[in-house]
Amino acid sequence: MLAEVGYIALWLAFIFAIYAIGSSVFGEMRHQEKIVLSGRNASILAFIFMSISTGVLEYALITEQYQISYVWSVTNPQMPMFYRVTSLWGSQAGSIVFWSWLMTLFSVLATVLNWRSHRRLMPYAIAYMMAATAFFIGLSLAFENPFARWWIIPDGSATGGEVVSAVFQPAGAEAPSAASLASSAKGLNPLLRHFGMAIHPPMLYLGFTGFLIPFAYAMSALASGELSTNWIKASRRWTLVAWLFLSLGLLLGGRWAYDVLGWGGYWGWDPVENAAFLPWLIGTAFLHSVMIQEKRGMLKTWNMFLVIGTFSAVIFGSFATRSGLVESVHSFARSEIGFPFFLFWFLLTIISVGLIMWRRGQGLLRDEHRFTSMFSREALFVLNNIIFVALFVAIFWGSFGAPIISELFMDTNITLGTDYFMMVTPPLFAALYILMGVAPLSAWGVSSIRRLGKSILIPVVLSILSLGIFLLMGVTHIGALIGYFIVLLAGWVALYETYRSVRSRVRAHGENPLSALWRIASRNPRRYGGYMIHLGISVIGIGVIGSTLFQVETQRTLAVGDSVEIGGYVLRYDQFDGGQISADGRLMDIANLTVIRDGQELSTLRPRRDFFPGTEGMNTMTIAGAHSTLENDFYVILLPSQEMSAQSATFRIYINPLINLVWWGGLILILGTIIATVPQEVMSTQTRRRLQHAPVPVAAGTGD
Amino acid sequence: MRKTLLIVLLILVAVLAVPVMAQVDTTAPDLSAISDDEVNSVAKQLYCPVCENIPLDVCETAACQDWRYEIRLQLADGLSEQAIIDDFVDRFGERVVGTPQDPTLRNLSLITPWVIALLVAAGGLLAIFSWRRRPDVVVEEDDQTQCSELHDILERDLAG
Repeated sequence: MLAEVGYIALWLAFIFAIYAIGSSVFGEMRHQEKIVLSGRNASILAFIFMSISTGVLEYALITEQYQISYVWSVTNPQMPMFYRVTSLWGSQAGSIVFWSWLMTLFSVLATVLNWRSHRRLMPYAIAYMMAATAFFIGLSLAFENPFARWWIIPDGSATGGEVVSAVFQPAGAEAPSAASLASSAKGLNPLLRHFGMAIHPPMLYLGFTGFLIPFAYAMSALASGELSTNWIKASRRWTLVAWLFLSLGLLLGGRWAYDVLGWGGYWGWDPVENAAFLPWLIGTAFLHSVMIQEKRGMLKTWNMFLVIGTFSAVIFGSFATRSGLVESVHSFARSEIGFPFFLFWFLLTIISVGLIMWRRGQGLLRDEHRFTSMFSREALFVLNNIIFVALFVAIFWGSFGAPIISELFMDTNITLGTDYFMMVTPPLFAALYILMGVAPLSAWGVSSIRRLGKSILIPVVLSILSLGIFLLMGVTHIGALIGYFIVLLAGWVALYETYRSVRSRVRAHGENPLSALWRIASRNPRRYGGYMIHLGISVIGIGVIGSTLFQVETQRTLAVGDSVEIGGYVLRYDQFDGGQISADGRLMDIANLTVIRDGQELSTLRPRRDFFPGTEGMNTMTIAGAHSTLENDFYVILLPSQEMSAQSATFRIYINPLINLVWWGGLILILGTIIATVPQEVMSTQTRRRLQHAPVPVAAGTGD
Repeated sequence: MRKTLLIVLLILVAVLAVPVMAQVDTTAPDLSAISDDEVNSVAKQLYCPVCENIPLDVCETAACQDWRYEIRLQLADGLSEQAIIDDFVDRFGERVVGTPQDPTLRNLSLITPWVIALLVAAGGLLAIFSWRRRPDVVVEEDDQTQCSELHDILERDLAG
């Protein structure tokens, strides 16, 4: 019964999504409000039925309905409730349903929240949102049905009969016994049984699916010819929301890799990691260039390309991950959805580009102003966009372009790995950091090198002084010092600009600095949230430079009682606890180690290897032990070895300097994005009453 | 008789010499002289030939453990890092290295993104210069556009 309800709800969601497309477009073209409203209501019904379908699948996972083949393949009776809930996105079929549900959720939120304020954009926007959603629901219905059930068609043989998978009971078929299904259930991929992995995919999916909304508004603007800045206003906040979740997803993914994959790092330049990073790059470029269109009415065509490019990159990345085009620890198994996915991506991109060129040909995307200065903020933002696009090109080429082209046309299979990315991307990242430091100091319209030089003087001095800390820490690597300087400059500019605004407010109003900071951030959350994001990215940059250039590693086999010295630390192997059985049935081999520095015992580490009996494929997981400080992580992995026993074991030991700044910087970035996303109108309302009593204008440096 | 004895003696010497010579040829290299770190520093530059995109030094499959052992043997035999990498590329193809060893593939891989990036940059800079020369465009709004903007303003006002 449960499977039928979920399956029928999935079909109904598909039908209502299709109806919403037709109704919205037809109603808008014929100017028939009732039909448009009918389309809107159908999109809401698509969300409701998608919620029912997703809820049914989740309920089946929680209540262990093993006859449903998806439940059987991703859970087993030993799994704790938490992982049963998260196994909704633990494999291809469930994750597509979850993805479709998120798409309908974003669509219904955008429709409800923007219906009145952006009424003219909505019919076509609904059509595009529902078209993308219908494609994903269609994938579930045609290729990856999560509601298929196991049946046995008896044939009198010793095995009991032929096992088939179908939603509805085939003629003559019987349901397998619940006990046999439960005993053979596979359980979730061990690599996914980690708290980070439980949150990382939903965050990424929220980011990916969130970009559907700005894409739909852009396409709606192109389709309707309503190319004023309304689509920008409608989509900017949605872009920030999507960007926020995507950033969070990337950070959590890095943390999961660091904790679970057992190689001492957080970013492996794996094609699937890169596939998630590519939309982030283009989305970030869009968030910057969209300001130029808002302020100066420029870059209209370019912004269209960026917003469409972002969603196109989302779909391409998803295609690459789900189709089996690339293999990695992140990708799903090879599947039949590759061709329809590729076709959808291709059509989406071609139609979008065609619409842009059509409207451009009509002169509707003409710029309203010209660049007046090479040092104006808009000119620097264009440079920033060029670098983001160059990074996109370099990473796309390394992840997909070169491997695919070499295989198709040169009859050879190549991998572009960390070597390639470390050769190509650092100069581009350095250029981005430089622009991040300079651009906020320039003004819209007209700016001069003299003005810029004057504004940047104090942040440069502060950056040079900060370098002293690194010199005192013993850093003499010239490349690292240059890198630190560039990154510090971007951070100091963000802090200094905020300080200048606070100081002006304090002088003008006599407020204390904290309330002045609150006021300026309330009045312009986008600007000060943006500075906070820049600060977060600077902190991440310091962590990345430190942990990449100065990582120390060694591998040793130690007998119990032996010690090894590395980077001023001593690691002592105290005890081995083999074959420990946890509540969820995993077997754990645990090494007990003590970290010592300057004769003092700092902490006890328990790196371990988890083995999941009865699980096919990857059935082991490496959980590192780490002693974390702001200075570094002392990170130890217990390696698989024939010698692993009560007597001796092999360890790989890493010292990762400043790595925790990557996570702290990430937190700052997320907080800044939340501030930037807060609706300015709401903040203004809160301060409006106070401003009525004290309507003194604030001198806040360069305008934003 | 003496001649026969000499032949027998020579054969005996030869028979005895074979294991001695064989012993010389198959002397196992001193693997303990090669540290795990030395093995990893080569393995780090290689990718698992079986599982895509996983560096050989961290891959945990049995096959990769065997390949790491092979690297240890090759290092003990005195092969240089580059010789070991070349050997793996010969046997498994260019996919086992992070950047191709073949000069054409290597150049193509490394230069192409820069060429594309430079083209993008040149395009961007040309656009900036052309925008600088171009006078401000007064956008002629047709009635429909003006009407739509007014319509939006009205709707926003109504929405409060």
